[in-house]
Amino acid sequence: MALVAAGCGHSSASKQRTILIAVDAPFSRSPYIGNTIANGARLAGEQLTLGGITTGGATYRVRILQLDNALSPSRAVANVRRALREHATAILTDGTGVDATWRLADRQHIPICIAYQGGNKLVNPETRPNVFRIAPTDHGLAFRLAEYLVPKRLKIALLTDDSDYGQAGRDALDDAFRTVPKAVAARITLPSTASDLAPQVLEARRSGATALLVWARPTVLGKTVAAARSAGWHVPVYSTPAAEDPVVRQQLADHPSWVNGLTFASGRMTAELGPAPWSAFEASYESAFGATSVGVKSHGRRVIAPPDYAMYSYDFVNLMAAAVQNAGGTNPEKILSALTQVSTRGANGDERGFNERNHEGVVDDDVYFARFADMVFRPVGDDPLSSTLPEISQVR
Amino acid sequence: MSTPAAAAVRTGVALREALASARESWTDTATAGCAVAVAAALAPFIFGGLIATDSLASGAYLALAATGLGLCVGLAGVPSLAQGAFVGTGAFAAAHVLRHTQLPAELCALIGAIAAAGLGTAAGFAVRSLDAVRVAVGTWLLSWLFALALGALPWLSGGAQGLVVPTRRLFGFSPTPLVHYELAVILTGLCALSLVALRRGPFGLDLAAAARHRGAAAALGVPMERLRVGAFAASAFVGGLAGGFAVQLDIVADPTAYGPLLSFELLVAVLVGGAAAALGPSAGVVVLGLIALAARALGSLAGVPSSRFQPMLEALLLLAVLTTGGNALVPAAIASARRLLPERRRQSRSAVHAPGRREALRADELSKRFGTVTAVDGVSLELTPGSITALVGPNGSGKTTILRLLAGALPPDRGHINLGAHELTAASPAERVRLGLVRTLQARAYFGELTVLEHALVGVNRTRRHGGAVRALVSTPLYRAENRLAEANAFAALEAVGLVGDADRPASELTGAGQQRLLIAAALATNPAVLLLDEPSAGAAPEDLERLTAILRRLKADGLAVLLVEHNLSLVRAVADEILELELGRVVRRGTNGRL
Repeated sequence: MALVAAGCGHSSASKQRTILIAVDAPFSRSPYIGNTIANGARLAGEQLTLGGITTGGATYRVRILQLDNALSPSRAVANVRRALREHATAILTDGTGVDATWRLADRQHIPICIAYQGGNKLVNPETRPNVFRIAPTDHGLAFRLAEYLVPKRLKIALLTDDSDYGQAGRDALDDAFRTVPKAVAARITLPSTASDLAPQVLEARRSGATALLVWARPTVLGKTVAAARSAGWHVPVYSTPAAEDPVVRQQLADHPSWVNGLTFASGRMTAELGPAPWSAFEASYESAFGATSVGVKSHGRRVIAPPDYAMYSYDFVNLMAAAVQNAGGTNPEKILSALTQVSTRGANGDERGFNERNHEGVVDDDVYFARFADMVFRPVGDDPLSSTLPEISQVR
Repeated sequence: MSTPAAAAVRTGVALREALASARESWTDTATAGCAVAVAAALAPFIFGGLIATDSLASGAYLALAATGLGLCVGLAGVPSLAQGAFVGTGAFAAAHVLRHTQLPAELCALIGAIAAAGLGTAAGFAVRSLDAVRVAVGTWLLSWLFALALGALPWLSGGAQGLVVPTRRLFGFSPTPLVHYELAVILTGLCALSLVALRRGPFGLDLAAAARHRGAAAALGVPMERLRVGAFAASAFVGGLAGGFAVQLDIVADPTAYGPLLSFELLVAVLVGGAAAALGPSAGVVVLGLIALAARALGSLAGVPSSRFQPMLEALLLLAVLTTGGNALVPAAIASARRLLPERRRQSRSAVHAPGRREALRADELSKRFGTVTAVDGVSLELTPGSITALVGPNGSGKTTILRLLAGALPPDRGHINLGAHELTAASPAERVRLGLVRTLQARAYFGELTVLEHALVGVNRTRRHGGAVRALVSTPLYRAENRLAEANAFAALEAVGLVGDADRPASELTGAGQQRLLIAAALATNPAVLLLDEPSAGAAPEDLERLTAILRRLKADGLAVLLVEHNLSLVRAVADEILELELGRVVRRGTNGRL
């Protein structure tokens, strides 16, 4: 009864209506990712409901429905079917199973937004008109990494793990480094299940590499850094947003100095407006859910993980609210159309929005670089974009 | 009468016979099963508001896969932990065919099932002679290998996104979850009916016998390994069919969905619901669904995902079932119902003796060594029709070894064995039984809870020509006619040992002497020319000995050649025509009963 009363965006019996956002994420298998996405959405939902969304003579509140996909595409299909049964207005996902689910949602003109995975083929406005993404793309990360590293005249060993994440990364890196083959010293696959990656790191060293670019899951990245540093090889290591996962620092907590210098590419947390929007978002997030502790200390103070991926789901829910207002209600077709016309100010101060030809909410130019020192990271100074960004405090 | 008209009449007669046969074998359990099937078909309309139809359809396909596993676990007694891999094989094979061809959806699922049956045949061949524990471990490893292969081969599995499959009409209907559900219920019902048909037929009876006592089954010539491979293949086929259709419901072949956990869950469903009951696996799947709900509730209370509790609860339930005697849900319910309902009496049946076979067995210079020990050393003997030859001697003199050499349980190092014109030296035990040479075992080697009549039928199965699994499934007129004859032959064998009145009792309820006579009946049911008996009087009371003596004399009078290995010399003196005394593997004395 409660579901029927509350979950239906099309109900006309009441003036109080619901915008139901289904969050389909791996809460059981990757709780950090799942909770980050859900928390960002929930925060936006609470703020919007509090502020009130009024359009077409009705007031809307935002409800978040959490559905665990456990990184399983078939579970994602079941979740999307459930979301559609409950008349979800939109589906927010980490990206699991989108190849299968987008068509189901498209039949009812329900938008799906990816807030984590960056695979190149997931989003295509022409063939998948209802799929959007607010997260850095693999293509953007790889090309920005190439753009940043090639001028340094490094001989780079490209290390990718054998997971799907790593394999997608290898494809993106191959694309990015295609025109500069001399910059690549070796291409090496890291076995995800191996406890010691010394042989692979030694192979990279023997190839004459002067830098490692690791595109792998966080645990594999941690093991790679440990293998290089324990062999006394102080080679610079570059990576993806996987580097900011707390797991990496937890793995290397016994040797904090090994984390120093680890550099990664990610979506920027601040924009031209400065750090104020981000700070406001971060404060709201911590007030609602508490700070995410990394589990290590920096100069005796507790290190926390900034909720940078939560801002993507936060921004999408705000965009949805704008689309509902633009559409004058929760008619799916109208919302889908409105979603390519509206824009909002994002959590980092950036303008967020899509258009008919571009369903990517994070442009490649928003990818910045950060480097670890003393268990916290700050933007690098040798990249034009990154050097303009302020440092975000990560200790409490 | 024209040929088409004659064919129509024959068809009509056959149909009337089939109906009469169905009416005759209809039971209260069958009525209950039909009621369950109707309720299952209506479930989406009854529970539509509570459970999503796609969840019901997924559960129904799981029930189909579990019922398929019932073929392996329930009939063959083989605890396969590879059913998840077979379901996955069906799913991925069907997904690839759907993606790359325009074949109809049903045909794609069938191709998936055939691919799974191929893998099942290979797996069955690999574990055909292993014991239950090793089968479980071996099949568990296969499940892991399959899951690892999917992870390592993205071109096969589609990687993290899986293989998205196009949707096509199913039997002319739009492939909605409701259509999938009803299809799954129908297929599960058909599979359960097949399970019943197979269990009642020679295939199931032989498998049941082999599962309960391999040695005794081998002695009766049951081709255990071939049957096991068949059971694996059939089980995998049904699992693959479930996978092939389920993947079209899911619209994606998911590499994470067919891991060892699925195999474990299916086995739990079968064991909890009841491997021996046709609807047991489906009941087990319903229990699994309830466990999922309980896990979700526990997860909510503890603030953790339900996936942390679900396997634990399933394992606990399995442990509970196993440690409380393994009496699963459906068999327990059937047993309770039978206690309440009046028992149906079997109609009296006539006994028909198969035409006897009269051939002499000749063994020349048989020798067998075990390491440095010579167990049998150049023994020759001849068993002629209508005679009883006794082998006597102290323990370790080689009596049972000679029996095993003659029956084919051991290959001789030297020597020849001939039955009439047939050279048997290299023949398998099953082949020897088929040609007319059968033996009974020394111990009380009976087939557990199988009835007395079923024991005899296992023997009769060796003489059947139209008792194959496929004929049993479709119950052809030839199969039904042969069934009637087989039962009559089985009654004749029981009549020969005085057990007709016990036909419907479980063999375990007979006395020790009664079980010995049952073994003789089962051997007689194979219609042998030569009968090898290993200490049939073991543990017999005086009145049982008299009965046994009478039985053996009658067998001799009927023209059978009998070799009797016996410690009881009074029995030997009472029935034997010739006596061979063994010592250290050699015949030290040989003579007629009166002279030795």
